[in-house]
Amino acid sequence: MSTWHVSAHVVVDPLPAGWRDRLAERLGQRPRRIGPFAELALYGARSCLDAAKETALPAGTALRIGSRLAPMAAARTIAEQSRTGLPMPFAFMQSQPSQLLAALSQHLAWQGDARFALCQDAAAALQLAQQDAGASQGLLVGWIEEDRRTEWWRLNPTA
Amino acid sequence: MNEAYLAGRGLASALGPDLTSALVALGGGGVAPTRFELAGGFAWPYYAMADEDADWTARTRRIAQRVAAESGALAGPRTGPLFLCSSSLDMGALEDHSLFDGSDPNFPAAVASWLDWLGPVFAISTACTSGLNAVLSARSLIRHGHADHALVLGLELRNRVTVGGFGGMQLLSATRSLPFGQGRSGLVLGEAVAALHLSSRPARWRIAGGANVVDGQDPAGPVPSAVIAMCRQALADSSLVAGDIALIKPQAAGSPSGDAIEAQALREVFEPLPALISLKASIGHTLGASGAAELALLTACLESGVWPRVDYPLDAALNTPLAEQAPPRARHVMASILGFGGGHTAVVLEDGEA
Repeated sequence: MSTWHVSAHVVVDPLPAGWRDRLAERLGQRPRRIGPFAELALYGARSCLDAAKETALPAGTALRIGSRLAPMAAARTIAEQSRTGLPMPFAFMQSQPSQLLAALSQHLAWQGDARFALCQDAAAALQLAQQDAGASQGLLVGWIEEDRRTEWWRLNPTA
Repeated sequence: MNEAYLAGRGLASALGPDLTSALVALGGGGVAPTRFELAGGFAWPYYAMADEDADWTARTRRIAQRVAAESGALAGPRTGPLFLCSSSLDMGALEDHSLFDGSDPNFPAAVASWLDWLGPVFAISTACTSGLNAVLSARSLIRHGHADHALVLGLELRNRVTVGGFGGMQLLSATRSLPFGQGRSGLVLGEAVAALHLSSRPARWRIAGGANVVDGQDPAGPVPSAVIAMCRQALADSSLVAGDIALIKPQAAGSPSGDAIEAQALREVFEPLPALISLKASIGHTLGASGAAELALLTACLESGVWPRVDYPLDAALNTPLAEQAPPRARHVMASILGFGGGHTAVVLEDGEA
């Protein structure tokens, strides 16, 4: 089982004004077809990799993301659309947390082991990430609180 | 290092309220989907459970308790991790309430309380691959000694949002589920609750290995290189080679393009292909629950010899014949799910009695 050292740790709390514009500037384009939940994941992941002085997520690295809640803004929207009789909810894709994994894969040009988990306890989620990614060659872990904050760690196996 | 075994399982699906009834129904030729009707006259085929309770939460609680009990997980200590696997969580309740805050936003904790579960609770949310990813996480914790048992609970129950969401993306078939079939026209969704009780105590089925590969090039469908990487990594993780696999349960959701991509990628790794089985024409695509539901049904089929009938012509261009009966002595079986979010996940099982 791996032990890890932290090569970067980024806390974005509170979210700075204009963070979505900053993300678009950093990526060179505004993310399309994803909601603010996935955009916040992109913002946090990119900030953490920048702090670690990495331009890309290396192959063999595992990606783990957690949150207390699913994308609630999108969930509220589609539940309301359903209640009011709209047969096909517009924000369905944005309500799926897994879309942030696809967005991260796309924007980091990375293919690999990525999971998202809901958990009430951030420490337990971080522990799970380290335990179940034990064989990987590195780890990028993120915690998202929609509209509030995000925190990321870049971990590498101890030699 | 410990090993992880499948100590017990439970399943409620369109085939019946438990695995025994599911095998009886499957042996009799299966069940036909019903129609899921939405506002505006939209309707799609849907594999629904024969349980008409209108109270979504009460129905979910009752079914989850029954299926978890069927798996045997409630008969022992309930201190290991609980992995809830669902694409829609409690959307069925949220869309029925007049106010959003009328529901408990911590649905996973509510499920744990229904089961009097004392261990840590995680809701794995990687869309269709949630169940298999949960199995891989549980296996890892057991192997490294962080847990000696775990419960993987797949839960995907009726709600309008999911059917409408998939319908809006034009991913659903208007007729029927035809995995690898000629004239396949899309997915047919279904509802299921499935429980996999994993343990370090030796049992017939060992979780030999697996792999999870995310590639976001196509957020709604499989990517060939990711399917190939998934298969190869799962084999390596299981210390096996392609020729060791006697049976594959692929995603085979009936998608015109998805099935073709998957079939071609499987051929890149497995040539000749081992026997294939599809369960989606029996219970539908149960999304976040599908990994757990299909593993429960797959192992039950292999143990009993009951096998799903293939009563439609297969697509000759894919050259992916579905087996008409259980292969003899299938010691190593690969089960995969490909899904939304660019997820490609496989688990390899080893049958200790084969």
